[in-house]
Amino acid sequence: MNAHAAVEVAASATEVQRPPAELRYADELARLRATDTGARPPGWVLSVQAARSFVVGDDALGVTRKFVGDPSLIDRALISLATSRGLMLVGEPGTAKSLLSELLATAVSGDSTLTIQGGAATTEDQIRYSWNYALLVADGPSTRSLVPAPLLRGMADGRTVRFEEITRCPIEVQDCLLSPLSDRVLAIPELSGPDATVFARDGFNIIATANTHDRGVNDMSSALKRRFNFETVFPIADFATELALVADEAAKLLRRSGVTTEPRRDILEVLVTTFRELRSGETVRGDSMERLSSAMSTAEAVSVAHAVGLRGWFLRGEPGNAEDVVACLAGAAAKDNPDDLAKLRRYLSQQVAWRAGEQWTALHQARHMLPG
Amino acid sequence: MGVTFIGVRHHSPACARLVASTIDRVRPAYVLIEGPADLNDRIGELLLGHELPIAVFTSFHDEEGGHESWTPLCDYSPEWVALNHGRDAGAELRFIDLPAWHPTFAGRSNRYADAELRHADVIDRLCRGFKLDNADALWDHLMEIGPDDGLAERLAAYFDLVRATAEAGEPDTAREAYMARWVRAAHAAAGDLPVVVVTGGFHRPALVAALAAGGDTSWPEVPGLPEGVRGGSFLAPYSFRRLDAFDGYQSGMPSPAYYQQLWESGPEGAARHLEEAVVSRLRERKQPVSTADLIAARATADGLAATRGHIHPSRADVLDGLASALIDEALDVPLPWSSRGTLRASNHPVVVEMVAALSGSRVGRLHPDTPAPPLVHDLDAELVRAGLDEPAELSLDLTLDDDRERSRILHRVRILGVPGFDRTSGPGTGLDPMMTERWTLRSEPGRLTAVIEAGAYGATLADASAAILGERSAGASIDTLSRVLFDAALAGIHQVSEQALSDVDATVAMAPELGTLGRALAVVVTMWRHDHIFGTARNATLGRVIGAAVRRILWLAEGVRGGAVPADLGRIAAIAACRDALRHAGTALGLDVTDALEVTERITSDTTAPPDIRGAAFGLRWALSSRRALDPVRVTRGAFMVRTLGDWLAGLFALAREEVLHAEEIIGLLDEMLSAMPVEDFLVALPALRQAFAFFPPREREAIAERLLRRRGILGTGRSLLRAVTDPAVVAAGMHLDEQVDTLLQREGLLS
Repeated sequence: MNAHAAVEVAASATEVQRPPAELRYADELARLRATDTGARPPGWVLSVQAARSFVVGDDALGVTRKFVGDPSLIDRALISLATSRGLMLVGEPGTAKSLLSELLATAVSGDSTLTIQGGAATTEDQIRYSWNYALLVADGPSTRSLVPAPLLRGMADGRTVRFEEITRCPIEVQDCLLSPLSDRVLAIPELSGPDATVFARDGFNIIATANTHDRGVNDMSSALKRRFNFETVFPIADFATELALVADEAAKLLRRSGVTTEPRRDILEVLVTTFRELRSGETVRGDSMERLSSAMSTAEAVSVAHAVGLRGWFLRGEPGNAEDVVACLAGAAAKDNPDDLAKLRRYLSQQVAWRAGEQWTALHQARHMLPG
Repeated sequence: MGVTFIGVRHHSPACARLVASTIDRVRPAYVLIEGPADLNDRIGELLLGHELPIAVFTSFHDEEGGHESWTPLCDYSPEWVALNHGRDAGAELRFIDLPAWHPTFAGRSNRYADAELRHADVIDRLCRGFKLDNADALWDHLMEIGPDDGLAERLAAYFDLVRATAEAGEPDTAREAYMARWVRAAHAAAGDLPVVVVTGGFHRPALVAALAAGGDTSWPEVPGLPEGVRGGSFLAPYSFRRLDAFDGYQSGMPSPAYYQQLWESGPEGAARHLEEAVVSRLRERKQPVSTADLIAARATADGLAATRGHIHPSRADVLDGLASALIDEALDVPLPWSSRGTLRASNHPVVVEMVAALSGSRVGRLHPDTPAPPLVHDLDAELVRAGLDEPAELSLDLTLDDDRERSRILHRVRILGVPGFDRTSGPGTGLDPMMTERWTLRSEPGRLTAVIEAGAYGATLADASAAILGERSAGASIDTLSRVLFDAALAGIHQVSEQALSDVDATVAMAPELGTLGRALAVVVTMWRHDHIFGTARNATLGRVIGAAVRRILWLAEGVRGGAVPADLGRIAAIAACRDALRHAGTALGLDVTDALEVTERITSDTTAPPDIRGAAFGLRWALSSRRALDPVRVTRGAFMVRTLGDWLAGLFALAREEVLHAEEIIGLLDEMLSAMPVEDFLVALPALRQAFAFFPPREREAIAERLLRRRGILGTGRSLLRAVTDPAVVAAGMHLDEQVDTLLQREGLLS
């Protein structure tokens, strides 16, 4: 009975926590496809121009802007995908690399679900193919007993394969991408005849993401690096854009949490400025500081803004204030790292007092709220 | 015939082509150009036959100080093309804008900047609509790469849109009213003959409207320099590098070398030239660039051009292609052509070469008949007036007014970098009390060249040397900065420019190390407090440096980690300099003592901070606050750890020597605890303890010794205690030997 109910819930797309981009933006994709007159690269579902509109937005077609950043990054990424090199998105944690890879895969192939999640335990089986052992023992190796993993499916169907956090995989595992990327072919030595070689169809390419914080965990071989075009995704450069994004997202989260007051604009300004300065290691007037070792990403700022709002509302029934910011910053910025907590304390006591503004003064006064 | 208005973007090859073809076609009677009207009777000077880039340099002085303004011109400047084609067509040439010293240009150092194009909201909307990064990419997309057909209409539509949505400031309106009078007068004077007007596109709609509205048609007068303002303009050689270096609101078209190629050989040629230049620069620097990379770069550039709807690859297409193909790692900062601004540190080396290739290294040269800049005359006059124009050996006494004045002139000349003026001795920092200077003056062949070159910095000796100091302070290390400030004092330059001041703040705020910052602060505090000879006492510039340095030292001090490491005298001195600044300048400069005390309180109790910093931090607290609040006995007791005691005390003694000397109970405590120390511990602590007590001068050490004797009930002078016949190191070695012997005897059971 219970199992039955669970299946029913999952089947309804609206109940899914986070449907893939091709479902979330199905109507936008349909509009783009209907008006798309540009030449499509072989195997693509959209032309490069339409794919670009899908990501950076097009007011005339009612296509929303889904990625805040330089449009030229999207241009370069799409052209890379149309050439014979893979696309490598690198950047700090929380810079929306995975979102971008999902959007690009959707724009190019109409499908963002061929995804390999890299990790210390990722094996070649999970990347290329594995076997249904019952069938393997019964029938021997055959296309029936073969269980294709995302890479094989992407090559056979001519679709984009996403490889998340590639540098978390051991270097030997990463290198199984070499011949699919350079020769566009995958050998299955267990099979014989034409089935033993899978040639990639048009439309196949790889989008990998890697975190610059992981640099050194597992490097990439230079042979593999050469087969990728690197694109660095940066934190949002413009203060106003980041502030607007944080305000929007935090307000959405707060509404979902049942909070009925809007977050205060001046508090958000202080919060976003603090995040930007701790992230870049430089204050607005140019003092250099040590960066925090935890990632002060926009996503993190949104979750702190959310927490600030919750704290203010459920403790006092009002929007969050500077004291809430300090209390929530400790958890976000310092995590379990005492060094970061000390850096935060120095920041609050020495780099806040010189600023004008009611909330900055309040933040300075609330510095004692930091634990420890 | 009517008036043809061409609204241009300065330094745009596309606009320059349009200007050339228009003038050649209509053969106007008058060509009116946005440029300084006070130069109208000197247009011949511009057409002598220089190698470009050159610039009209204007410097002037009013009550607020010196100002500089550049009007740069290169081969592909529409204004330059208008001058040359206008002359060839036999037209009368007129500059029609207000002079650079006019108040409407306040704060502008580049007449041909295009701030209004970068900061208009409509540009942002257009960029989003065309899916491009910024105003420069948009401009290339619309104007430079597109076909010449319809360019005039596109330009007019673009600038009409910008003008309709952007606010024209008061200065713009004033300049346009003035330019409109020239246009009306020329139109009237030309009668049936055509007139061509070349101005910034932002002004074109206003000028068109003003001509239609009609009005006074007499030639406008050229405003003379107002009362109390002196200055002038002269031609100076310019360079692509400087043209590309304007930043923020002063910036114009970027990448001069690329646009020079675009002007000479068209978009396809410029794209290929850019690729070649980048690759050859990289290969010269032994960076590998394979043929496969080149193919990938070319393919990506062509693909991007097609995606963005360009017939030929634009500047950004080529750069994006090269970046895609050549960079195979994460970048630390965004690509500079996607976010305009001067090149920042930590750019990828490939990117640095790309930007350098775009910028180019071309330097202009003036025709030999060009009149010399006024600095040449000013310098000669100053030297003659002070009797310094002949070779000589001089000895100057800085306490005498006359000699000090001569010394200042010589220092200014030295700062300009003019050869033949050498100081052989004299004060080196603000800390040494040296009051005489010796100079050797010789005549050197390269002297005139050097002065003309320095002329770009200002029209007078004082301005030029001040400007050079300002430039030296930009982006300088804290060491250089303190030398600059001392040079400023020697040369009697009391106010460094606003720009330099903000650089000072930035430099101090970025100083990475306590030692050097401390030395600089010590010099600056001394100069701020005492220097009546150089006139630097209570100087505002120095005050600002002091404030910034104190904040930065406190910031850095709290960041030092490292546990039990030996005392670092440099950083102790930095905290001491900080104490002097807070004590002597704190009230006058409004420094925040409470904040300082808070920081030092945290350092004092931070067990991960090195002992010398903790001791110094406590010393600073003691020196600046009342003793009752502190309980030094308890803190000192807490610091009593064998391995770190000496280093901790070094910090304390350096900062609060006087206070310790007058605190009987601290001396007592130290005596009590040191006496109780086991010999082996004492030997470990000894070297650092000796270093710590060296902070007391001999007389004070004697006083301490005397008190120690008194505590033991012995009356007498402590001098004998200090003047031991034997070297303390020998005594320590002897104690160590004794100790070993004792241990050995005990082990063998020979001593109980």
